[in-house]
Amino acid sequence: MALSTLERFLLTLTLYNLLVTAAISIYGIVARPSLAKKIIALTILGDSLNVLAIFIGFRVFSIPPVLTAEAELSYFVGLAVDPLPQALVLTAIVIGLAVNLFLIFLALQVYRLYGTLDTRRIRELRG
Amino acid sequence: MDVTLVLLALFSTVGLVFTYLAISERDLVRAIIYSAVQSSAYAVLLYLLRAPDIVLVYLPVAVGLYPAALLFLVGKTEKVDGG
Amino acid sequence: MRRVVVLVSIAVSVALLAYATSVAGALGYLGLETRALARMLLALAYNPGLRELTAMSPEAVTAIVWDFRGVDTLYETVVFYMAIIAALAIYRGAPKVGGGGGIGLSLIAKVVTKLLIPMNIAVAVSIAVHGHLTPGGGFQAGAALAVVSVLLAVVFSASSFSKVGVDVSKAVALRSAGLVAIAVVVFTPLIYSSVTGAQAYLMQSYVKVDSGFAFPVEVFGQLISGTLIWLNVAEFLAVSFGFFIIFMLLSLREDVVRSALVGEEHGSQHS
Repeated sequence: MALSTLERFLLTLTLYNLLVTAAISIYGIVARPSLAKKIIALTILGDSLNVLAIFIGFRVFSIPPVLTAEAELSYFVGLAVDPLPQALVLTAIVIGLAVNLFLIFLALQVYRLYGTLDTRRIRELRG
Repeated sequence: MDVTLVLLALFSTVGLVFTYLAISERDLVRAIIYSAVQSSAYAVLLYLLRAPDIVLVYLPVAVGLYPAALLFLVGKTEKVDGG
Repeated sequence: MRRVVVLVSIAVSVALLAYATSVAGALGYLGLETRALARMLLALAYNPGLRELTAMSPEAVTAIVWDFRGVDTLYETVVFYMAIIAALAIYRGAPKVGGGGGIGLSLIAKVVTKLLIPMNIAVAVSIAVHGHLTPGGGFQAGAALAVVSVLLAVVFSASSFSKVGVDVSKAVALRSAGLVAIAVVVFTPLIYSSVTGAQAYLMQSYVKVDSGFAFPVEVFGQLISGTLIWLNVAEFLAVSFGFFIIFMLLSLREDVVRSALVGEEHGSQHS
């Protein structure tokens, strides 16, 4: 089953949107000086890469990978999306959540010790 | 012609626009709200990609828990992203 | 100058990635066909004809998370557990109970939230228990119940946790109970194997080619899929009370916490 040009254009557009979102959030991590803004950009980066991983397993004209009572097995295998990226992304979301929550606690502790969250001023104040 | 593909392209573009707004905004509370809107657009995107398990994790985590924890952080520290 | 270098390098690498994934086909042919591994996993998730290879759960994602790739999920639970320990370590010495006072939001918000919290708890428990039949599972239910802790901390104030009867040590105990339940279910086949001498594998849920040990698959005609339901409920307890700990610590008043932490750093003890 081949895709028409319009369908392929829409799929490629979605892929490019996800990659450009990842690029903008990497720029946000590097270039903005506040620690809270860096953490926001890190969460956006993790989200866009997880959606990209699920997008790899997608197929047009499909059903979710849940076997309902009336579907037959060969029909189900021929029509469902890939369940393995979904299982791996589930793990990845929880690990990203653990790391980001720990970073928020560390940022609170940095504010208590240095009095500011601006990395340029922290660099001058160290010691 | 599948309606799903048009909606995929539309919601990923919405996510891109709100990401740019969130990164370039100086006021941190507004940046958190923009990132919450971007997460809602991604939740619809995940539903369109036929992943209902992921939607059930993503919706409370990215729309509820991250903005809440970040708002606690911003409320106790500085509220403006300088520079 | 440095910002220009950053922008140019990000643009070049994203252009390379976009070329590789769409034109050169590095991620496979998007949207067309699934891989052979995906077809095999979908065919084996619920297949009563192939008793030695199946997971007996019509929900393919839960079967992969807890049966086919169960040890990955075990390690991810350990990573989450370590993040909670790190948060508790940063707040060592601080009084763990929200101080008196604190008003919360207005009366309308409080009444509406009092109606919503039982519905949230019911939905979360339903997601956990149905995780092997419909989309759901342990993490989903834990995240849904964590929203209750955020509502309690924001709408009522931080002192509402002690009025409800939850404090940090009770939340730690309940979370540890969930983790111990996971460990018991994971190690039961090994204990069975060392007691009776038959062959059984770690985290085994159903019969395998050379092992006859199996958790019960059906109770009174309802499908419970071996270990999947017990692991889902235990993970729900562990994850949701982990989030309760995090938001109870984050909602403490900053001046109270700071005086306790600074006092400890300078050597004087506040009791």
